[in-house]
Amino acid sequence: MIRLKGVHKRWDRPVLDGLDLHLERGVVWGLIGPAASGKSVLLKTVCGLEKPTSGEVWVDGQEISGMDEREMMKVRRKFGMLFQNNALFDFMDVGQNVAFPLVRAGGVDPEEIEERVASRLKAVGLSGSERKMPNELSGGMRKRVGIARATIASPPIVVYDEPTAGLDPVTTSKIYDLLRAIQDQSHATVMAVSSDINALRTFVGRIAMIYQGRIIYDGLESELDGCQDPVVHQFIRGELEGPL
Amino acid sequence: MSDMTYTSGGEPPLRFPKTVLFKVGGATFGMVDALLEFLRVLRGTIRFSIWGKRPKGEVLNQMYQVGNRSLLFVCVTLGCLGMVLVYQILLQVNRITGDTSQVGAEFIKGMVHAFVPSLTAMMIATRVGAGIAAEIGSMMVTEQVDALRMCGVEPIEYLIAPRFIATLTMTVILTVIALAVAVGAGSLMAWGSFGVNPAVFLSFDKVTPGDMITGITKAVVFGAAIPVVSGYCGLTTRGGSEGVGSATTRAVINSSLAVIVLDFILSALAYFFLQSKGL
Repeated sequence: MIRLKGVHKRWDRPVLDGLDLHLERGVVWGLIGPAASGKSVLLKTVCGLEKPTSGEVWVDGQEISGMDEREMMKVRRKFGMLFQNNALFDFMDVGQNVAFPLVRAGGVDPEEIEERVASRLKAVGLSGSERKMPNELSGGMRKRVGIARATIASPPIVVYDEPTAGLDPVTTSKIYDLLRAIQDQSHATVMAVSSDINALRTFVGRIAMIYQGRIIYDGLESELDGCQDPVVHQFIRGELEGPL
Repeated sequence: MSDMTYTSGGEPPLRFPKTVLFKVGGATFGMVDALLEFLRVLRGTIRFSIWGKRPKGEVLNQMYQVGNRSLLFVCVTLGCLGMVLVYQILLQVNRITGDTSQVGAEFIKGMVHAFVPSLTAMMIATRVGAGIAAEIGSMMVTEQVDALRMCGVEPIEYLIAPRFIATLTMTVILTVIALAVAVGAGSLMAWGSFGVNPAVFLSFDKVTPGDMITGITKAVVFGAAIPVVSGYCGLTTRGGSEGVGSATTRAVINSSLAVIVLDFILSALAYFFLQSKGL
């Protein structure tokens, strides 16, 4: 479904450094790593929001790194994305935000869009919030609106960038319950980045760690604790002493 | 090689010129990249303004933002400038010849041909240009532009094209209104301070078709340049609130500069193609 071959991304310093990755259809994959290690850049590179400096990015059998913006728009229809800061459109109300991917895709009746928005908002626990503006919502509610927008078009690939950043532990658990419920229905390929390792591990089946632009661990979530790499070891335990 | 390049005690002696070369080369490539990106925004704006899909009512909304909200600002500025210019001209004319009968006609000709389109555009560049850059820039730093792209939206089509159509249209309309205000205020000043009869002052005899073509062309070109330059500044915003501030400043400076440079070019073209042919 998603394959990266020798992907480099460089601004004033290397951000992704010869990164290789292969995700099968339907996998729920988590990515952890220290701040500024390239997590969000990796997600944006897969979505085509950032172009790699070199290397290949394959999505559903198509090599996207050389595509222009018009071709990329067709590829992006396969994605739903929850952004780190939610990126809700502040000039639209909640209903318009959630409906937007369907409206832009076209071919869906306004009545059906309204029904699907209401149903999706109910699924995320925000029934009746259609007319509220994003600035009237709490952090957790905005996250849920972002999740509803990312998943309303039932995309085959869903990308969650820090789905629980800035949320309290209870809200974090609720958000992951919601993501699990959505995943049980959609069976989409999921890429999730989070700094909250323990919460993320309850959601993903496969987990990777990125460090200095390279993936230094990629395996089953259940095997992460047994990893002997000193960087992974220190990071997942939050120890002060070590190579990080 | 390292022995030739580095000394034991500090910075390598050949590093300075190399660094300068890298910086000059980097800046040159940066400018070329910026120019290419600007041309991409310009081409996309024109293409999407003609063939693009726009959110329902967005052009009208932007016309309200650009036109209605700039009206008072433009009228006050152009009214005051009209009065000051007329006062100064009449003061000088009174000292030299004392014949004020042609002042109104020449003032109106100059206003139609040069001053009103460029001054109105400068006012719009400061108010509207800053607004466009700040709005799009803040959408960039909050990832809303990326979210639009993820929903299959081309940001130039969705954000810049409606502002382009609205600013172009409203710049022409505001220029006509500003002309009426500047001439009216100038006439009042001439009558109140120097006793020039408004019937004598308000003479359009010297305004040629060439002057009108030049004035309208300038308004159209300035109205097109401001949203493209400001939109480009907004779309190239990086960082956080500091980046938005920087983009807003760049938008005002670059839009104003674009108006001045385009004014010079269009005036030269008008001279060669219209005035030299008696139009």
